[in-house]
Amino acid sequence: MAVLLSSRKTTKRFGGLVAVDELDVEIKEKSIHSIIGPNGAGKTTFFNCVTGFYRPEEGEILLNSHSLVGLMPDQIVRLGIARTYQNIRLFPILTAMENVLVGLHCHLRANYFGILANLPSTRKEEKMAAEEASRLLKFVNMAGKGDLFAKNLPYGEQRRLEIARALATRPKLLLLDEPTAGMNPSETQTMMDFIRHLRDELGITILLIEHQMRVVMGISETVTVLDYGKKIAEGTPEEIKKNPLVIEAYLGKGSVAEAQGAAA
Amino acid sequence: MTRVLTLWKHGVKTGLLGGLITVLLSLMGMVEAFSQRQIVSDILSMDQSLLGGAVVFMAYFAAKRTTSSHPLWVVINSLTCGFVTAGMLMLLLLIGHVINLRSVFVNASPVLYQLLSFGHGFETALLLFVAAPLCGLFAGILYLLPSAFRKTLIVSLACIVGAGVLQDLLRPTLAAWESLAGLAEWIFSSNGLTEKGAAVLFIPIASITLFWSLKGETVQAGFKTLPSKGQKAIRWAGIAVLIMILLVLPQVLGLFLSEVMTIVGLYVLLGLGLNIVLGYAGLFDLGYVAFFAIGAYVTGVLTSPELGFFNLTFWQALPFAVVMGILAGVLLGIPVLKMRGDYLAIATLGFGEIIRILVLSDFLRPWLGGAQGIGKIPKASIAGFEFGMPQEIYYLILAGCALVIFVSLRLRDSRLGRAWKAVREDEDVAQAMGINLVATKLLAFGTGAGFSALSGAIFATKLTSVYPHSMNVMISINVVCIIIVGGMGSIPGVIVGAIALVGLPELLREFAEYRLFVYGLALVVMMLVRPEGLWPEAVRRREFHEEQFTEENDAPAPAAAASR
Repeated sequence: MAVLLSSRKTTKRFGGLVAVDELDVEIKEKSIHSIIGPNGAGKTTFFNCVTGFYRPEEGEILLNSHSLVGLMPDQIVRLGIARTYQNIRLFPILTAMENVLVGLHCHLRANYFGILANLPSTRKEEKMAAEEASRLLKFVNMAGKGDLFAKNLPYGEQRRLEIARALATRPKLLLLDEPTAGMNPSETQTMMDFIRHLRDELGITILLIEHQMRVVMGISETVTVLDYGKKIAEGTPEEIKKNPLVIEAYLGKGSVAEAQGAAA
Repeated sequence: MTRVLTLWKHGVKTGLLGGLITVLLSLMGMVEAFSQRQIVSDILSMDQSLLGGAVVFMAYFAAKRTTSSHPLWVVINSLTCGFVTAGMLMLLLLIGHVINLRSVFVNASPVLYQLLSFGHGFETALLLFVAAPLCGLFAGILYLLPSAFRKTLIVSLACIVGAGVLQDLLRPTLAAWESLAGLAEWIFSSNGLTEKGAAVLFIPIASITLFWSLKGETVQAGFKTLPSKGQKAIRWAGIAVLIMILLVLPQVLGLFLSEVMTIVGLYVLLGLGLNIVLGYAGLFDLGYVAFFAIGAYVTGVLTSPELGFFNLTFWQALPFAVVMGILAGVLLGIPVLKMRGDYLAIATLGFGEIIRILVLSDFLRPWLGGAQGIGKIPKASIAGFEFGMPQEIYYLILAGCALVIFVSLRLRDSRLGRAWKAVREDEDVAQAMGINLVATKLLAFGTGAGFSALSGAIFATKLTSVYPHSMNVMISINVVCIIIVGGMGSIPGVIVGAIALVGLPELLREFAEYRLFVYGLALVVMMLVRPEGLWPEAVRRREFHEEQFTEENDAPAPAAAASR
């Protein structure tokens, strides 16, 4: 399979702290790829580098061999990368519908004077946008909730609305930052099914930050493990589970032997 | 015993607070200043309604905060509040009797004491202990009434007080119509409403409010069941009637009220322009007066024969004024693109001052007139009709307001309006959703500045002159207050806010001393009682008053894929 996103020796520093250290990752088209690692390993920083919030000091991030470094977040989302946030960041006093419509922003063409003149093309576009937004709301199982404020939605729906908003930008690559955080086991299971469904039905490549091992091992095809900004392992979930470096990073030195003993 | 004390606590506490407020109002001189005007002739004067209103307000709070829901306790607390307030006023009288307070409080005059003690010294002063608890009792009963009746009473009493306060305007306006002159004589005496007039006002207002609060929802529901064509027709008919009223209004109201309306109109224009910047895009622009000044000065420089540079007509100069305003808005926008919130406010505040100092400077005097300003700016005219009198300029401003309302409405629900709102809510995420922050913010700054410049241009031709001192920071602050009091992002809110904060003070010029006090008071009370504004956007009203959504249907599993 072709490579959709590749990071080559990406490095991001904050003062003396190296948050992402010469990271090499390749994300294959239409795969579900997870990034895991202990707290502070640089996972979200890497997301921020990909989406243009941070500019990496060194290295390159390529989407279909088109460099993303130095582009603004709004340019990157137009190239087909959308994201959600670890702590949900919806537009709180906009309705669910408006939130999704904002996601459609970059696919609408209406300009200032077109809007003022209420041109037929603008009206047609608005109508189509509204239809697409309600279709997306229905897709995340929120039909009929379009008029509610984002901030007044229950937690699970806020998560789904954030994904709907990201989908509205019609991404090729969707970055999900801990999509199952704070969910109970049954909610987690449906979220996992939903993520798989996104890939299978819409053909969207998924890059995932996740802490729940059940999710990581359940749905990802490739797992990359970060620790102190460095990639310490990469492979299929089965390979990762057995990797002594990973066990050490998560549980500390000395636990490797124990874990292996337990496995045996 | 302790239970009784806790139940009683709020009555005493709010009473003390109410006492402080009434003493403050007295020592500030408001009571004395207001005593000249009668609301209802020989029954209720304005100072009595001020003090009484304060007591009722506080006692209502006491009733509301009563921890027991038993009606008796509610009434006891509100009565106590009134009683304690009376005690504080009595204390003021006693202290004033013993010590000469005038050396510190200039307004602690014998006239004030006479007013507070109902005319005849200490014997009648005991009446305070009847009057204030009566106000308290009224507040308590008000609180216990069903909300429909409470609303009715408050609205109709407020209307009567309003009619009494504005009698000097209403009476001549009514009397100007021959058929209504008799009515005016009948409702108003030489000072205040007549008793019959008050009753006659009360009954229709009360019945309309009562009908609306009891049946309003049924009427609205009925309206909603109409076919959408019918709804549209009714809505358009309503708008048509409103436009007709607005068009004939200055002819009916006469010179003074038209002048007030032009001032209010200019502020509406400014407010709606800033509403796009502040209400929609959330950019806190405190230098808004800069664009007003630019619009006014560009018009002045281009038209005034006094300077003699161009001698254009108003209409020829207007596009230049507006375009210059927009350019200035965009140019100011560029350096502050990265700033947020308070920082943006301070930076723009500075810009406003820079413009004022520039036009005041001696350096630019040959071009901008320095401290003397620019005079002899021609009036606007269309085909021989000159916009000279306030009644005529009114139409110019009305057209401006119509334009800005049109633009606001079109933009609000569009791609751009949503982008603005997204930037207001969360700039970073908005950018991550593909919104170009630079373009979006500059469009907001430019649009707002354009309307400010339009307002400035009309202001210049209205006064036929411009001076640096009319471009001070208070204009920016007034406009921000209008938006906050009216309701952020709401078009009718801005209009209501301008009427309340600019129109009313113009009408009550004789009390101009207390203008800033009332301003501050209005802001504080608004923030406490109605943070969403007088007439908020429908969406924003929900934000403050419909928290129940959160409790509803909590987290059904995020089943999306499965159901498809």
